[in-house]
Formats: sequence, structure tokens, C-alpha cells
Amino acid sequence: MTCSIDCHGKTTREINRAIRQAIAAGEREIRTLHPDARHNLGVALLEPVRIVYEGSVGYYCAGMIDGAHVEVHGSAGWGTAESMLDGTVVIDSNAGSGVAASIRGGTVVVRGDAAARAGVSMKGGTLLIGGNCGYMAGFMMQKGKIVICGDAGEALADSMYEGVVFVGGKIASLGNDTVVEEPTSGDESWLATLLHQYNLRSPTHFKKVVSGRKLWNFDKKDLEVWKAAL
Amino acid sequence: MCGIVGYLDKKSGPKYPIGRPLLGMLQALSCRGPDSAGVAIFGPPSDWHIRVSRPEGLDSESFIRELRKLGVAVHRHYDNGVYDAVLSKKVAIATLEDQIQLALPGTEVICLGRCLDLVKQVGSPEKLETTYEISKMTGSHGIGHTRLSTESRVDLSHSQPFWAHGVPDLATVHNGHITNYHKLRRAYEQAGYRFYTENDSEVIGVYLRCCLEHKLSLEDALRSSLDDFDGSFSYLVASEDTLAFVRDRYGFKPLMVAETDQFVAIATEEIALRQTLGEDFVVYEPAPGSVGIWHTQQPALVCT
Repeated sequence: MTCSIDCHGKTTREINRAIRQAIAAGEREIRTLHPDARHNLGVALLEPVRIVYEGSVGYYCAGMIDGAHVEVHGSAGWGTAESMLDGTVVIDSNAGSGVAASIRGGTVVVRGDAAARAGVSMKGGTLLIGGNCGYMAGFMMQKGKIVICGDAGEALADSMYEGVVFVGGKIASLGNDTVVEEPTSGDESWLATLLHQYNLRSPTHFKKVVSGRKLWNFDKKDLEVWKAAL
Repeated sequence: MCGIVGYLDKKSGPKYPIGRPLLGMLQALSCRGPDSAGVAIFGPPSDWHIRVSRPEGLDSESFIRELRKLGVAVHRHYDNGVYDAVLSKKVAIATLEDQIQLALPGTEVICLGRCLDLVKQVGSPEKLETTYEISKMTGSHGIGHTRLSTESRVDLSHSQPFWAHGVPDLATVHNGHITNYHKLRRAYEQAGYRFYTENDSEVIGVYLRCCLEHKLSLEDALRSSLDDFDGSFSYLVASEDTLAFVRDRYGFKPLMVAETDQFVAIATEEIALRQTLGEDFVVYEPAPGSVGIWHTQQPALVCT
């Protein structure tokens, strides 16, 4: 059974209350009509429900969720899905800055382009970007995977602790203390499965970016790296 | 905070009711700034005209009489002390503002030009509509602003859009903070440029005026501002035939752009575009450090 909530004429608080009341009433499929890029929709939902936004959403949609499956049939604003614990967020069009910032688990898919600072400080989970992304994607990430099918902006994965970034297109510039490797056959099969699952076209080749680990501990020999990073 | 909007109609020509989308977008962004609101709208060239506000302590009759001596014929005035006037052919446009300041100190020249109609006041976009009926204003393109004051006074002078004093038909709106404003202002004042407010956003118009006087094109001036302004800024510029945006190199301030066969629409937040223009187009966040320029009746030029 699907429940529909029309956002037209409602405040953000009224929409979110309606979503929570529907979940409390046992609904597991919720369609949200005319979201009109409002901010803060469906934040911190902890139930494994499916929520479809029939249009664009604003800032912080689906932030801090744990287990929900969220579809955005439009674009998404700044900080979408930030700090999510688990679940899936699929954005059909473009995403604003800071998409999937600080996520701990789950999967965020941006079919279009992502703006600056995508996946910064990720602590787990997967961010898949079908198009290009802006500067400093994966800045200080600690765990998890970022897949960029198109081009990556400047300072990619700057000062990353751990985790991995795959890039199908060009990299404008690498961040501090990053190393480019060849993907393993295991990486390639994981990428192929992921892209197939979300029906995204695979680039011919992926570059794999990982941490150089020189910033983990201070070493006088690496002074130049530290100077550049700080 | 602050909210900025821009709209350029590609199909209908200068009679398009451009005030409607601008007002709708400003209303959607009004929670970003309740202090003041304004729009600058560009139509086909007409007679030279000016909009001024009367200084405190001067009665309306004396003000109109003194303006007439300068070749400025008032044809309409509003309850808030703002006057619309046309200029006689004898008026020297370049020196008119100085003459007005000399004869009527404290007068605020809100805008001057042949295409530009700029209205602004303290209060919400709804209040602006009540005073000026901006939803009935026509033109091919325009920009708008709703302000949250952070650094300077809340009054008509410090409201936006700003007309670029000294350059007819050029206006700007800005969201952000030009942090090297005082340094730039000191340099410009030493070079003889005059500032009329304490608002850091005013320096954008002065900067563009200086660049144009040094024979830079508007496009080159916008691009060079990325190097010369410090701080956070998304700003829009509109002139007789141009609508443009500039976004700082870090993308500190939001900006969203939509372009279709019908229009170019720019707003601080996507909510303004969706609530006013619907869902039937793609919206993107322009790259930090990018400049986008559109000309009326010409293909777009977008550069990064």
C-alpha cells in the first residue's frame, strides 16, 4: 500500500509530521508530491521505509537516516543524506555541495553531477556519482568508497585517512597525500556490479585513488607534505 | 544570508511581464532576508530617466523645483519620498549626480539610465509589490534581492540592487561578504571614486565602473573580479543587454541556475526556481570560480 503526501500549501514541519505519522501508522511506501526543493525533508528517519520525492528537494534531505530507501525524482540541494547511518538515497538529477558528507554507511547515488565537497569526511558507505563532481570530493574521508564516473574537480580526496575513490574521467588535481593505483580485478567486478545495479554506464577505465598514509604520523622526512597539507 | 535572483526571457521580447517571476522568486527567498527587497528591470531604451529620494527636512515642492532647475522634470512621486523624473536633452548625464548632490545634499540617486527601472525599499517583497506593483513591470531581464543586514544599516540607501553610480543602466545584487572591502574602498576613494553607503556590496558597482572606464569589457571585468575580491560572494550583474553571475572560488555562497529555450533563471536556492517556474527543467549549481553571461537575443556564453 502506498501513501501520498502532497506538500503543496504545507510547511516543512507539517510535511515531516505527515511522513512520521504515516510511518507510525504502518505505511512502508510513501510518495511525496510537489516537494518544490523545500529544505530538511525526511531527516533522521530510522525505519526501513521507501520514500519517493516526486520532484526536487532542498538542503539536508534524508540526513541522518538509518535504513530508509529514498528516491528523489529531481535534483537535491546542499548536504543531502549527510551523516546517514544506513539505507539508500538515489537522486535522479544533480546534487548540491556536500552530498553524502560524513555518511557512516548505506549508498548514495547521484545520477547527474555533484557540486563541490561531495563525500567529505565519509566514515563508511558508498557514494556513486554518474556525472562529474566539484572540488575536494572525499576530503578527509576515513572509510568507505566514492565512485565518480565522470571528471573529478581539484584537490580530490585531499588528506584522506583511508577509503578509496574511483574516477572514470579526468582528475583536475589530486589532493595532498593521495596515491593513484590500478584497480584490482576484485575492484573491477565490484564496480561493474554496482553500476549495473543502478543502471549507470561504466567508463572504459577507472583510476583508483587511495591514501598515501604520510599524514598519519608526523615524520620530519615528510615535512614538505605537512607544509602543503596545513 | 540574503537572497538574489535573476531572470532573462529569451522569447517574448521587452514586453515580457518580468516582474512576476522576479517577485515570485523573491517571495520564495524572503526567509533569507526580511530587512529589505528590490528589483532592477531592463526594458527597451526610452528617454533618459532618473529615480531619486528626497533628503530629510526638505519639502516636496522645493525638492521638485530645485530638480527642475537642473533639467530634471518629476512626473511621479510615491508616499515614501521617492521621485521619478525624466531628463531634459540639455542635461550632462556624466555630471548630473554631482550637480544634484551639490544643489540638494543628501539626495539619493537610486538609478539612472534609459533601460533600467530600479525599485527597492525596507521591508518584504510583498511590501515592495504594494508600493511599486512590480508584478506589472515589463522588460526582457532583471535581477532582485532580499536582504539580511549583517554589516550596515537597514535603510533605502543600503538596500539592493545597487545602481553602479556613474554607469547608466548597470545594476548589481550580491549575497555574501567582500572581506577586502575597506582596502578596495580606500584605494578607490584615493582615485576619486565616491561611495554613497557603508555596504560592502556597493564596491562591486564601483569596481565594474572602474574596469569599464579602463576599457575592459564587462565580461573581462567580471572574470577579473574573481581575483580582486576576497571573501564569499555570489553576485549578479545586469545591464542593457546582459545578465551575468559570478561565484567565488570556494563556492561559499549558494547559487542555482536553470536554462531552457524560454528563459535563464538564477536564484540563491532552488526552492525559488521550483516554486515559481515549476519542475520541467534541470537545475545545476555552477562551479565555484565560474562566471556565466547571457545576452538578450544572443546565445549564452558560459565560461569557467
